[in-house]
Amino acid sequence: MTHRHQPLAARILLWGIITIATLWCIFPFYWAIITSFKQRGDILTKPTLIPWLQYTPTLFNWQNEFGQRWPEISKALGNSLIIAIGASAIAIGLGTLAGYGLARFRFYGWKNRDMTMWFLSQRFLPPMVTAIPFFMVIKTLGLIDTQLALILANATFTMPFAVLILRDVFKDIPVEMEESAWVDGASHLQSFWHIALPLAAPAIAAALVICFAFSWNEFLFGLILSYDRAIPVTVIIAGVSHTQGIQFHQVATRLLLAILPPALLALTAQRYIVRGLTFGAVKG
Amino acid sequence: MPARSKVKFLFVLPGILWVLAFTIYPLIRSLTLSFTNARMGRTGQFIGLQNYIRAVGDYRFQNSVGVTLFFAISSVVLTVGIGLGLALLFNRPMRGQRVFRSLFTMPMFTAPIALGYLGLTIFHEDVGAVNTILRALGVADLPRWGSEIWTARAAIVLVDVWQWTPFCFLVLLAGLSALPEEVYEAAVLDTSSGWDIFRFVTLPLLTPVLFTVIMLRLVEAFKMLDIPFSLTNGGPGAATQTMSFYIYLTGLRNFNQGYASAMAYFLLIAMMIIAMIFFRRMRQNFD
Repeated sequence: MTHRHQPLAARILLWGIITIATLWCIFPFYWAIITSFKQRGDILTKPTLIPWLQYTPTLFNWQNEFGQRWPEISKALGNSLIIAIGASAIAIGLGTLAGYGLARFRFYGWKNRDMTMWFLSQRFLPPMVTAIPFFMVIKTLGLIDTQLALILANATFTMPFAVLILRDVFKDIPVEMEESAWVDGASHLQSFWHIALPLAAPAIAAALVICFAFSWNEFLFGLILSYDRAIPVTVIIAGVSHTQGIQFHQVATRLLLAILPPALLALTAQRYIVRGLTFGAVKG
Repeated sequence: MPARSKVKFLFVLPGILWVLAFTIYPLIRSLTLSFTNARMGRTGQFIGLQNYIRAVGDYRFQNSVGVTLFFAISSVVLTVGIGLGLALLFNRPMRGQRVFRSLFTMPMFTAPIALGYLGLTIFHEDVGAVNTILRALGVADLPRWGSEIWTARAAIVLVDVWQWTPFCFLVLLAGLSALPEEVYEAAVLDTSSGWDIFRFVTLPLLTPVLFTVIMLRLVEAFKMLDIPFSLTNGGPGAATQTMSFYIYLTGLRNFNQGYASAMAYFLLIAMMIIAMIFFRRMRQNFD
């Protein structure tokens, strides 16, 4: 872009907008954090925004969360962790294979392009359309209220990300390295395993993070496929509000526990986010 | 590369089988369900197109279509518009750009359901953050977010805009920074107006990226469920009841599975139209 020197007024305007955008972006996190350190009374009597100045922060809510309320939330966090790890592992396993296949081989009849679009088209599918039959299938299999049921569901939703990201990455890895291995007598499986896979490792890790985050954040299938043992954290937080109106101070700690793991983890996948979320259509 | 090698099928087959089992099979099940009057526990009888005809005349379904369209359009316009504006501002050498980019990644990965509940506390009429700030600014007539139709809808749009503007911003910024510099140097010689450069140079070059962002946002907005579920519970009345929400209530709360499946197919058809438009333009990308 142009490197013209800008007048002071324009620069002040620019930084003004940037400041507002930044404040807007972090405000909900800030609000959740300060609310989690408020006492019940402080929340109900006077709305406040600045700790120490306007109210005295307390650790009470967090002690309560990690004490009395810990069994419930720890079970949900554990479920979410297992579900998200299981689902993203399956999605990445299948996605890496399919991504490599689509990048390295030419298919006839059902062409590469159409196959890629077929995988991607699942992302256009509203989860609500498959929710009812999925529920019935899971019920038939006797898997209602198991972590496995939610692993299957989330692996299905996140696989398109894995396929598209990995296809894109394998296409960027020069085929020549593998070709020389083939000349030396290596099979496709060997060159995939020993050459392509290690080179794609950073992208695989990033895709894993993206699939993990979306699985962790999934709500609808968690709601319909679990009721006790397998409840994930997104469903447990849905339970806090309806009983007696929303309890701000209790909600805030839980929301933070639900929000922070994927949001912080996603920072490590920074380099692949644009490419991943646009399915390779835009290179970030 | 040996094209006739059978090993290539080994790579794609597991993924294909998985999709057939967990996406295509449920889709077929729900298509057959949509032609029956299945309810909880009862398999139901074939009733032809009755569910589809019923959906067309169901005012609650019509309402949910309107609500969904409203959210989709306002969300796409605002997120893409603001995202584009910010991307144009940020598209210059600037200190701390990496920090901003990291910061703007976080909203996208915040669970929407959690965001909705957080929104309940932020938009609370007496002690919520928004009204606290408005009060401090001297606004006398504070909005009653939860209990009026348009304020409830506005609250949902605001939460969605908060979550997805960063996505539009990051993608459009990536698109902008990939534009060739020479074109700009030539354009600067021809015209001095920044607006002209934007209109005649930047915008046409950016069209493919803009198109991608709009389509992907449209798809996500059409599926909207979590935020209305948590923030407004579909209310007041059914003012924020999206299609997914109404289908959920019909099929999984009232267990009217046949009818819910028919409505779900209307949603699916809408999404297929969007997907077709997207794939027609983006075809060469997937070669």
